[in-house]
Amino acid sequence: MTHRQRVQLFLLLTPVTVFLGVFFLIPLGTIAVYSLLTPGLYGGVEWSFYHWNYGRIFGWADGITEVFEPVYLHILLRSLGLAAATVAICLVLCYPVAFWVAGLAPRWRMLFLFLITLPFFASLIVRLYAWLLLLKPSGLLNTVLMGLGVITEPLDILYTPVAVILGMVYIFLPFMFLPLFASIDTLDRSLIEASGDLGARPVQTLLKVVLPMTVPGIVAGGVIVFIPAVGNFIVPDVLGGAKGLMTGNLIEQQFLSSRNWPFGSALAMVIMALVLGVLLVFSNRARRAGGRT
Amino acid sequence: MRRLPLTVFSLIFFAFLYLPLAVIVGYSFNANPVNMLVWEGFTLDWYRGLFGLDRSFDPQSRTVYVESTPQMLAALRNSLIVAVSTTCIATVLGTTAALALNRYRFRGKALWSGGLMVPMMMPDIVLGIGLLIFFTSAGMRLSLLTIIIGQCTFLTSYVFIVVQARLAGLDPALEEASADLGASDWVTFRKVTLPQLAPGLLGGALLAFIISMDDLVITYFISGSGSQTLPIYIFGMIRRGVKPEINALATLIILASVLIAGLGLWLRARGDRK
Repeated sequence: MTHRQRVQLFLLLTPVTVFLGVFFLIPLGTIAVYSLLTPGLYGGVEWSFYHWNYGRIFGWADGITEVFEPVYLHILLRSLGLAAATVAICLVLCYPVAFWVAGLAPRWRMLFLFLITLPFFASLIVRLYAWLLLLKPSGLLNTVLMGLGVITEPLDILYTPVAVILGMVYIFLPFMFLPLFASIDTLDRSLIEASGDLGARPVQTLLKVVLPMTVPGIVAGGVIVFIPAVGNFIVPDVLGGAKGLMTGNLIEQQFLSSRNWPFGSALAMVIMALVLGVLLVFSNRARRAGGRT
Repeated sequence: MRRLPLTVFSLIFFAFLYLPLAVIVGYSFNANPVNMLVWEGFTLDWYRGLFGLDRSFDPQSRTVYVESTPQMLAALRNSLIVAVSTTCIATVLGTTAALALNRYRFRGKALWSGGLMVPMMMPDIVLGIGLLIFFTSAGMRLSLLTIIIGQCTFLTSYVFIVVQARLAGLDPALEEASADLGASDWVTFRKVTLPQLAPGLLGGALLAFIISMDDLVITYFISGSGSQTLPIYIFGMIRRGVKPEINALATLIILASVLIAGLGLWLRARGDRK
């Protein structure tokens, strides 16, 4: 590399590095530091080492200044469960549709890919608000179901975990669809025909040929949906109610109403660890699966 | 192949995707003031109420939102200020990063290209509280400035990815030819690279603009009392209870974002075909 190129590279790379270093890396670091500080009396912090924040979540609280409440662990597990359910439902809904869109004529493919991405750009809060209206006891869902005679009493879905899953599935569908589509689109369709010609039933072809070859897409979609889902607090806030509370809501409360920033930071560290864990495990697996096919 | 069930399932899927948006648009024209979920007749009252245009509005029978027009417009103005500033900053930062990683070979390159994706992958809430702690410990008052700084972190990632993809598709031979013909690096960049890069830049900037206008979680933690943005304003409205005016506002937002996004996607599709 010549001297001039070195100068150019330095000029190009320095602004972004400094900016993200100061306003991204340092803030993440402060979360880690705060999670190990002592909560002060009136919402502040005291600068002394304190591991009971984590103890309060995982069970080694001393029982005097901090008390272990299994409820935090329950909410954490619930967040994991709701995020996993969201991933699974998104996958089941998107897979056949991605397969269908991939088989369309180029013109129509463009149209339907456009239609998939468009709702992603229509404001998140507006889309959640739509589900609030749909799920209300007198909302469209119940009116239609009761009109059809499917149910006699209005379903009480709103402010339950089911509503949270519905809302998250709705807002994260495009995240699952696009990687899945990319994976299914590159699939060699003659292999499907070959499998059929060799006498495999459609189900066998699906399980033994199509699914294994699209593992990278499935994993990528799953990770991209899981990450924003597990720490989400807007969806449970709008649709969830007390029974649909997730770790995100707990963190928000610690920062904005209970004002226990160290405890909130400890919870955020747990979410961050989960996300990093998922990324590490699955990005490796996706690469390996990708290399195999 | 049994295509028919697959087609039916897919069409239902797309209906599911658009039904909720259609429902809001429909309700926004519903005249029923008591229960907006029961259709009574067509009205534009909620749109009028939103803009304070209806002079003969009777506060007794139909509650106009107290915080209606001025606060909403202030929130909209804040959102636009933030979105325009973040779009400019993030586009510059993301593009310089993409150029550096695409045109030069250096040690630790993988670290940078991986690291530039992390702000986008980080859960919103974690970044939001990190920035909140950071700004308050640094003694910075929460304002539009803190929102702009905060949003630029992850918007840079988005721009970086879009521009990077465009750069990777460019033919390096053109730049080499320009250099061989005696053009300086700067002239080559201005006259050869930049025009080819334009669709990517525009796409990245539009994406940053839309995401900034829509960002709720991160902005929620780092906006002060005087610096509400539009999504936060709507979030607050919804938390206080469902009002028909929200439907009208939501409809306008859906319309605006669909128009901008439609334009962006159309531009990109056109750029790809060329």
